[in-house]
Amino acid sequence: MRILIKIIIFLILIPSKSFGLIEVDITRGNLDPLPIAVSPLSIDENSRQNFEKILKKGNIGNEISKIIEINLKTSGLFNPLNKDAFLQAPDIANLKPRFEDWNLIKAQALITGKVSYLDEKLRVEFRLWDVLAGKEMVALAFTTVPTNWRRVGHIITDKVYQRLTGEKGYFDTRIIYVAEEGPKTKRIKKLAIMDQDGANNKFLTLGNELVLTPRFNPTSQMVTYLSYFRNLPRVYLLDIETGTQEVVGDFPGMTFAPRFSPDGKKIIMSFAKDGNSEIYTMDLENRIVEKITNHPSIDTSPSFSPDGKFICFNSDRSGYQQIYVMRSDGSKVKRISFGKGLYGTPVWSPRGDLIAFTKLHKGKFYIGVMRTDGSGERLLTENFYQEAPSWSPNGRVLIFYRETKTDDKGEGFSAKLWSIDLTGYNERMVKTPTDASDPSWSSLLSN
Amino acid sequence: MNRSVIISSVLHAVFIFLTAMSLPFLTKKPIDLPPIVSIELIQITDKTNIPFAPKAKKIIEEVKKKEEKLVSEQAPPKKVKKIKPDSVPMPDDLVKNEKEIKEDKQNPEVVDNEVKQVSEFEKDELFDPNNIAALIDKSKEEIAETTKKNDKVTQDQKRNVENTGLSLSEEDALKAQIFGCWSIPLGLPYNENLLVRIKLQLKPDGTVAKSEIIDHARMNKPGQGFYKVLAESALRAVKLCQPLRVPTTGYEKWKELQLNFDAREMLEG
Amino acid sequence: MKLNKILKNTLLIVFACFALSACATSKKTSGQMQGDVYTGTDSVEYLASGVPDRVFFATNESVLTTASRETLRKQAAYLRKNSKITIVLEGHADERGTREYNLALGERRANAAKDYLMTYGISSNRISVLSYGKERPVDSGSNPLAWSKNRRSVTVKAN
Repeated sequence: MRILIKIIIFLILIPSKSFGLIEVDITRGNLDPLPIAVSPLSIDENSRQNFEKILKKGNIGNEISKIIEINLKTSGLFNPLNKDAFLQAPDIANLKPRFEDWNLIKAQALITGKVSYLDEKLRVEFRLWDVLAGKEMVALAFTTVPTNWRRVGHIITDKVYQRLTGEKGYFDTRIIYVAEEGPKTKRIKKLAIMDQDGANNKFLTLGNELVLTPRFNPTSQMVTYLSYFRNLPRVYLLDIETGTQEVVGDFPGMTFAPRFSPDGKKIIMSFAKDGNSEIYTMDLENRIVEKITNHPSIDTSPSFSPDGKFICFNSDRSGYQQIYVMRSDGSKVKRISFGKGLYGTPVWSPRGDLIAFTKLHKGKFYIGVMRTDGSGERLLTENFYQEAPSWSPNGRVLIFYRETKTDDKGEGFSAKLWSIDLTGYNERMVKTPTDASDPSWSSLLSN
Repeated sequence: MNRSVIISSVLHAVFIFLTAMSLPFLTKKPIDLPPIVSIELIQITDKTNIPFAPKAKKIIEEVKKKEEKLVSEQAPPKKVKKIKPDSVPMPDDLVKNEKEIKEDKQNPEVVDNEVKQVSEFEKDELFDPNNIAALIDKSKEEIAETTKKNDKVTQDQKRNVENTGLSLSEEDALKAQIFGCWSIPLGLPYNENLLVRIKLQLKPDGTVAKSEIIDHARMNKPGQGFYKVLAESALRAVKLCQPLRVPTTGYEKWKELQLNFDAREMLEG
Repeated sequence: MKLNKILKNTLLIVFACFALSACATSKKTSGQMQGDVYTGTDSVEYLASGVPDRVFFATNESVLTTASRETLRKQAAYLRKNSKITIVLEGHADERGTREYNLALGERRANAAKDYLMTYGISSNRISVLSYGKERPVDSGSNPLAWSKNRRSVTVKAN
């Protein structure tokens, strides 16, 4: 036995000089977006004609694949390849991709699919292929009313995104925001809602009164926002499916900065009275109002952690605007922002690990993130004015608004929505028909 | 008066100097990274080397038949049923959509029929995304088979720190090549353990005979969904890079090679 | 190479300093601001002859300046004489702050004015407070002077 051990040790020590497993550390790679080919979805002539009649779109297969392509491109994580380079026709590719051909144009993933008209409905099958491994990664089919075709494109993108990144997507979502028009001194503001890609834009209010800071309920199609209806700034609740509205609570003064709790059952907001703003919650079922903070300074911009146990908020109790975290009952208040400058608009990430914020330092505004204990502060973008980050439902992307500096005559003002990846890459403007501010991202509409 | 002017200018000079020194670090972190090598497609060997991935249950029995089946198995369409898009309707088509949902639910037979139409063979190659771990299990099996033949090598798998095997320049050449092939999935969480270790068996020309993910058990752990994505990206990198730029001599030294892919440094910037 | 860069940066910063100091001096010479509180009369309207309708604040502050107190005393005297008038105090902030904090700040500024009026005998029943935050600037400029005009509490007759 001992001899055996000795032999083994001998074998390990001596020959390893020549046979040891060589390890090579790969710590760099390219951060280029993944090259992906989105083959137009194939469609038979009969279905094509039917959809053309219903939707007035020449080839709905092409249209859906365009949506997928734009979504993937916008995410910054994928590089959809130019369709002109595709060697295989959509109908054939859908059945049996010739991986060599897709390899040749350097696609690492391939999306194929088929659209058909079935019992007056739109049926879409799609497949995601790993070109290098030569295998299918996802195959799904959807059936829906034809007018829902854009959402099919978004849902397919979500599935592809999830399979290729390991995280849920955020494409089948909407954004509610404040549409702005008119001169800076007499700005007209309306609530507006659109799909995440800017399609289906709709105005929800007429602009007769000032509206601010709409926020989605994470669990339903409800929105809470601030309205100056009859010059009484109050937090309102709006059901965007039925259009019904109500004032939240019966406060003898301004309520503002509303947000839903993660379970959607409470609204947390600020109530200002006698020069002091405190944070309150109201339970939407039993209407019970609770006072959470109690301090003579300004306490505002509250946001729950996704487990509902903590609240981050903005307070100037130290003398200046800083970010604080407390238990959801208001106990254990702790300041977490200690960098230089002023901090505002803390928003807890839906993943729970980060808090996004706006920072003002030396005349510049930054959107940044920090861990929930205040460590690891990272500033993602710097500008003349920007604020109010809102998380995508997967906690990967932030959307916020940015205002431009006016010229000597006070002209040239504009406000636009922008999005940026958590890494600080892929900053892009989100197109809106009018000027826009105060965006809030919905959760995924499906599942 | 004079004194304060002097103090002021000295302080100003110090401030200017400090700012000048620190300016380069003010730029955003990600941009700080050295330029990234673009993908370079190196001649790709015939795919018959690559284990194809059918349904997990049958994997083990089918391993040997696999290569002949490869082409036909990819072919015909199968149908996975999934009804979704109606669940949250737009405000105006609410009523209409509610009907649609009901309809869909009332006719489950339609769905069943479609699935039944699919032949046994076609069903076989339904891809189930949950089975990826099983697929990798399979590659493990294959490794096991081959390694039996190479007993000597397997006995020496315990890593010996002193043994560097490759010279620095050889290692750098290999690293540089793989850096260029590895598309790091950008959606990864930045604050997790992002290390994937892959063991390769190489042919003398640098092509890959076998590849194995060492911590493949991690894929099944909750909250580690991203690991699968990362592992797949590493496997893709190896495939893209074939043949690897290995030294021309000393095959015995590097015929087994472990690559430790760690994305953390890149993603944290 | 690196030295070169540092030199370049130094030059840049020296220039920036000059530019900044130029700004600073021009501010002072304009004579419309003391510290960063607006002292001019550009946007000011009058409740009655000699009774200005608004007071101005320093950045992030809701403390009344000496000039503000004087204005408010005039307003109080006017309101005592015209006891049927009720007022709304509209609090405002400049655009250099987050929207929600500015709403709270505007409310605090208006309340600072309210408290002062009350100490001069105006009943709180006659005063209501409304914060607009940064939503209703009087000057749409993006410069310190414009911002100073916008940091204000305006007394508006409600009837």
